[in-house]
Amino acid sequence: MAAFVKSVNKKLACKDLLAYVKTLTPSVLEGLYNHPASCLAIFRELPDFAKHYVMRILFVEQVMVKQNVVATWIEKDYANEHLDAIKALTGLHIVHEHMQYCGLPAWKLNESFKKSLQIALMGGGNGANSLEMLPPDKYAKDIAFLDSYAQERWECILHYIVQSKEGSGGISREVTEILLHSGLVSKDGVNSDTFITAAGFQFLLLDISSQIWYFMIRYLETVESRGMNIVECLTFMFQLSFLTLGKDYSSDKMSDNQQRFLQHLREFGLVYQRKRKCQRFYPTRLAINLTSSTPKDIALETHKQGFIMVETNYRVYAYTASPLQVNLLSAFCIILYRFPNMVVASITRESVRAAFASGITADQIINFLKSHAHPEMLKKKPVIPPTITDQILLWELERNRFNFDDGVLYSQFVSQRDFELLRDYAKDLSVLVWENPPKRILVVTRSGHEEVKRFWKRHKRDT
Amino acid sequence: MAYRSDESSLLIVVLDTNPVWWGQQLSKPNRDLTFTNCIEELLVFCNSHLMMDQRNKLCVIAAHPSKNKFLFPKSELADETASDDSEIMRQTKSDGQYELFAKVSETIREEVKDLIFSDTSGELHADCMLSGAMSMALCYINRVEKEQLNKESFSSRILVIKGSEDHQSQYMNFMMVIFTAQKQNTIIDACILDQESSLLQQACDITNGIYLKIPQLSGLLQYLLCVFLPDAKIRKKMTLPTNVKIDYRAACFCHRNLVDIGYVCSVCLSIYCSFTPICTTCHATFKIVDPRPIPKKKIKK
Repeated sequence: MAAFVKSVNKKLACKDLLAYVKTLTPSVLEGLYNHPASCLAIFRELPDFAKHYVMRILFVEQVMVKQNVVATWIEKDYANEHLDAIKALTGLHIVHEHMQYCGLPAWKLNESFKKSLQIALMGGGNGANSLEMLPPDKYAKDIAFLDSYAQERWECILHYIVQSKEGSGGISREVTEILLHSGLVSKDGVNSDTFITAAGFQFLLLDISSQIWYFMIRYLETVESRGMNIVECLTFMFQLSFLTLGKDYSSDKMSDNQQRFLQHLREFGLVYQRKRKCQRFYPTRLAINLTSSTPKDIALETHKQGFIMVETNYRVYAYTASPLQVNLLSAFCIILYRFPNMVVASITRESVRAAFASGITADQIINFLKSHAHPEMLKKKPVIPPTITDQILLWELERNRFNFDDGVLYSQFVSQRDFELLRDYAKDLSVLVWENPPKRILVVTRSGHEEVKRFWKRHKRDT
Repeated sequence: MAYRSDESSLLIVVLDTNPVWWGQQLSKPNRDLTFTNCIEELLVFCNSHLMMDQRNKLCVIAAHPSKNKFLFPKSELADETASDDSEIMRQTKSDGQYELFAKVSETIREEVKDLIFSDTSGELHADCMLSGAMSMALCYINRVEKEQLNKESFSSRILVIKGSEDHQSQYMNFMMVIFTAQKQNTIIDACILDQESSLLQQACDITNGIYLKIPQLSGLLQYLLCVFLPDAKIRKKMTLPTNVKIDYRAACFCHRNLVDIGYVCSVCLSIYCSFTPICTTCHATFKIVDPRPIPKKKIKK
């Protein structure tokens, strides 16, 4: 029972691109808007109305559009969406407010954003920021190779988080720092080994595109402290997400900061470079469309076929030999038998509650089972038997039986009148939590306790 | 929470490339819209559509008097020269344009040039094969739907950009196209450059599309972006031009004239302007019904 009170129910929060970009300073944003790729990436993440407003103003020579004109562009019922769109646009400094001569407020599109978006649409930029094509590579790599490379690198990092013996080599100090900073692993003492935290388990249960995005956000947060320029890194990241899979690009024109960033990306598995000094690189599937929040078809998952079968008797059969996957399963199942190519596990109330205690939610467990479901399971509708999903959700609901509020108990009132006086005063201050008139007991919140005590003392003095 | 639609959208643009009409545009005094400009503005519009959402898809079909051609994506016969595609990509200018957009622009320009140079017949027609092009569009939509791997739903719409006039011989095919589109929940929009077209008016009304005759041709791009860019879900929420009075008269099956009052076959519902004893569609026979009373012949004894 004590575990209930202490449990850290912190869900892994991941900002999407817009939320992250809003945290940047206006000067960084101005720097970003000079590059077509960043404008394109941010444009795609805007709410729908905002996108249409921008498109309508994009090619208009006249500088400003009156606000009430913009308001007539949508039906009256959707005023909330309209306000939401305007908030997004002004929050990102894409649109500024101006007062026109006639006294009516108007919107003006940010100049550099406008120019860069036009360049992204039609071309005509000066090419200073873009990546060039090269003559054909005699060591050309195909997409299958890139996929296996990306998978191997990313699993290296995942293995490190889980501390399995196999993939623990090959992780640089910087990756360790990022993992520590993001709270996925933590250390006991200064030189001891790292071990996984509750957040780490939640991270591992996410699908791969969310994992990569979460990791990149954390990496970008530490960029400033490494002495790298955040505008350059972000620009390169946006450019990277719009490249074509399977083509190579030149890294000649990139600045030093971007070269360092490129080396880090190489380690995470987002790009492939044959050698460090090599001037060309290939983006892998993990990097393409990195910044988009629409559900991606990261076919790495489908290449690596699903391997979990879940039966209605709460048995789980996982056709895998990878220690990483077995570790993940053991987070919420009890492993019963291990074979060279298969693991038999069982979902029980205890195992699932142990998972909840370390912060994993029922949704994460169910999504994990669904995304790694064996092709045979995928043929059924719904994929996971509804008994299992419902039961896991019910077990989670079981934990929400108590609400805890801190408070102070007042009892042993001499008379009913005193009790009522104090109760009404507490109610006026809205600090009353609970009362029981027949027994003359009431509970007041801790913060309101001081006020109520003072009032009572004053009252006793007066009477 | 960001208000973003979860559906991707497939846009098919059917462009009228009748050389007679476009040639006449060049000889007009103020030269509002030439074919080259129209193609360029169309490219920007298509790229804007692709820019709206990563999953959006595009198809462009040219409706020519003698044939219809897929401008984008390149039709499969042309894939024999696919190895040249990578060469084209290598030489693509690195000027900041998103690669997908560059590919779309290059492909469409190449294919239009190809279409024009291959038209050596020398015949002049005042119309184009619009119903054929729209049927190709509907088939493409059907194919994309079948090819979808992860069964995500998407909405589809056809935008017809038309300058030349209608020809009544296409009436039947056109109506069938319209009803198929209605069944498939495909929206048909019409962007009219010159002459009003009653067929397209009916199409837009039946499929909940937008019919717009462009008041100022020099502002074609702005009209396209404002009116035709929003997809089906957003349209309900925005104030867009509504449809005007539509000429719903049917055309008779014998002469393709528009009729207000006519004869209808009771079996197959085909319409005729004058009485025919045998229906040409279903071969049902009808007795001659004379409105004048037959004078009773007195039987002379």
